[in-house]
Amino acid sequence: MKTKSIYKVPNGKLIKIFMDYNQKPSYIKDIKITGDFFAYPEESIQQLEQYLIGSEIEKSSLEKMIAQFVKKNKIEFIGVSPESITEAVMRCRL
Amino acid sequence: MNEPWRLLQTGFRSAAENMAIDRAILTAHSQGDVPPTVRFYGWNPPAISIGYFQNLVDEVDLQACKQHQIDYVRRITGGGAVFHDKEVTYSFVIKEDHPSISKNILESYGTICGAIIKGLNHLEVESSYAPINDILVNDKKISGNAQTRKLKTVLQHGTIMTDVDVEKMFQLLKVPNEKIKGKLIANVKERVTSLKHEMNQPFSFDDVSKALKDGFEETFDISLVFGKLTSKEKQLASTFEKTCFGNKEWIHQR
Repeated sequence: MKTKSIYKVPNGKLIKIFMDYNQKPSYIKDIKITGDFFAYPEESIQQLEQYLIGSEIEKSSLEKMIAQFVKKNKIEFIGVSPESITEAVMRCRL
Repeated sequence: MNEPWRLLQTGFRSAAENMAIDRAILTAHSQGDVPPTVRFYGWNPPAISIGYFQNLVDEVDLQACKQHQIDYVRRITGGGAVFHDKEVTYSFVIKEDHPSISKNILESYGTICGAIIKGLNHLEVESSYAPINDILVNDKKISGNAQTRKLKTVLQHGTIMTDVDVEKMFQLLKVPNEKIKGKLIANVKERVTSLKHEMNQPFSFDDVSKALKDGFEETFDISLVFGKLTSKEKQLASTFEKTCFGNKEWIHQR
């Protein structure tokens, strides 16, 4: 199922997620994390998208996955965070 | 101290050329071919640039751009969509390990925006830094800035609006909800401004870029020396234009 969410991060930037997902069982088939935020290095967002494909759409596990990925790859976010990206992904299903 | 850095005035160019030149300077400087560089430029035709992570068709009305002969391009820097029309655009390239620039990205935004603020002071315009990447005059945004770091080199570019037409901007940008477009335009008009609007007089590209040059010189305690793009930079720019900024697939990548 293809969906989109728009989430304004409190005191941060705007995240727009474009996602294709499977409902049952729930997992991400394809995802694009877009918006007016900053991420260093920039290539990390595409890598994160790849990494999330196949993941279960469950808030705490997603947040943990993203946080670990960010730490491991030494990604620096400005205007977004693992928490806010997770929130934006969860809103795709509302 | 008073190290000579390079100043480039590259005139008014297409969106793809402008973005390709910034990237070419970054690459050339990372290889030690050229000194730290400040460049001033404009856009002909006017253009929309979007941030690296933005979805092109979700942000920009491509048909309207075509109709109004407006260019569009994806930047290599993050941040939001910008309509480049009546403005002075700058770019600044310096190695990450240069003592004049902080390793810390947020701090370095503050330093470079500080140079712009100093420059605006020379025009008797009082402005302030609004982290992360805006500069305000009378609480309204007059300048947006965006930074990338590649090849251990900092590239920050940004725009100082000399005039602004919010109505036209919204003919070219898509809004999430057409029904509230009017309200959105009114809202943006209250938050965005230009030198002309704030000072009730027109400002020329040359006067603004001269003032900004002084701002950079004072902030970094250097002299900016007029220079030219090297032939290697021109070659690099032409390659980047083909592979990225003038390449439909690259621009449409998300």
